[in-house]
Amino acid sequence: MRGALLVAARELRADARHPDGVATAITFMGALILIESLVVGPQVARESAVAPALYWIALLFAAIVVTTRSFEREVADDAIDAVLALPGGRDALYAGKLAALAATLAVVGLVGGLLQIALLDLDVALVGHALLATALGVLALPAVVVLDVALTLRLRARAALVPILAAPVLVPQLVAGTNALGTALAGDASASLAWSGLLLAAALVYGVVGVTLAPAAID
Amino acid sequence: MESTAERGASLRGATVLLGDRAVLRDLDLDVGPGITILRGPNGAGKTTAIRALAGLVPLAAGTRDVRSDLLYVGHRPQLLHGLTARENLRFFVDLRGPTSMAPASPAALGSDGARDARIADAFARWGVGEDADRPVERLSAGQRRRAALARLDTEWCGLTLLDEPFAELDEDAARLLRASLVAARDRGAAMLVASHGHAELDDLAARVYRMRDGRTE
Repeated sequence: MRGALLVAARELRADARHPDGVATAITFMGALILIESLVVGPQVARESAVAPALYWIALLFAAIVVTTRSFEREVADDAIDAVLALPGGRDALYAGKLAALAATLAVVGLVGGLLQIALLDLDVALVGHALLATALGVLALPAVVVLDVALTLRLRARAALVPILAAPVLVPQLVAGTNALGTALAGDASASLAWSGLLLAAALVYGVVGVTLAPAAID
Repeated sequence: MESTAERGASLRGATVLLGDRAVLRDLDLDVGPGITILRGPNGAGKTTAIRALAGLVPLAAGTRDVRSDLLYVGHRPQLLHGLTARENLRFFVDLRGPTSMAPASPAALGSDGARDARIADAFARWGVGEDADRPVERLSAGQRRRAALARLDTEWCGLTLLDEPFAELDEDAARLLRASLVAARDRGAAMLVASHGHAELDDLAARVYRMRDGRTE
């Protein structure tokens, strides 16, 4: 736990000093939401079943952008090797990246959500429920994304492989997130909480699986 | 804590595959107290042997036995871009925790202040000075190398693995490196130093291995 916190703090400090990864993710997310909205049309994009889907797809790709940037920094001077050579280094690296990505995604998700609300002039019936769904979704995505970026770290086809590997595994989270947010937009509190519960379960299950697999996967 | 005699590491029958090509072939390597040199031309397998000892590459066959806490400094500086050199060394010291060869005095390890003083001393010695508080990506290759090698004086481990440590060092820094290795040797540490041909440390070496085509000759 201490090692993971040290890695997370190191990650967030580097992000704060060079926020290009976060800025890129927010820009990317805003552009994706705008383009998706133009493609399906503003009326359809405002529907409570569609707007959250656009949001989560954009946030997933933003997570991939942030995580890829983070690992590029690790391999720039082989900094990752120094961590992996330490006892418990693999666990600390994975769990630390997970925590740092969740914190970064919380910022990106909040800014991206506000952008979407402003761009599409959305009405949010249950703000608290929407925030809860977003927070749990932000916890449910990183376990898979960090593991997939770590797995493909030394591969030239990494940019293509990460979405291909991550997206199918994350379908349950995307479905739960879309429904949790969609029902919050529509004012259905109990349904939103039920879907948020699924997001929480996914965050726990995938987190445990990721922590178990990561030491063997990161090389 | 391990005794001086036990300190070190070994590879037995180590084979490492890169695709279908063997970059280490049935390699036996022993690193004991003192300085062990691993010499050979480019592509002989020195870096892979060191990475195998550090646990960074999987063995297709053979065994790895590491009997000490280890410090691995590769041929690149291993400092995270976006952090200063000082922040990088603080991170390593904090993540590692107490080491087997650290001075016994609690003041030497026990607080952030003591840690920072140790890092400041190491940077002063290595001539990193004012560059210690600049992001590492803005440092010259030589200064980055010096900052990375300052880890020898902040993380006192029983086993140190160095890959081409003299690369990018000027004469002054090369002298500092030699002095650091002598000090570590006198403390009883085990060290493995890979070098493709220079003989800077031959007079200090307890053992010299020559590698070619993934094997020792």
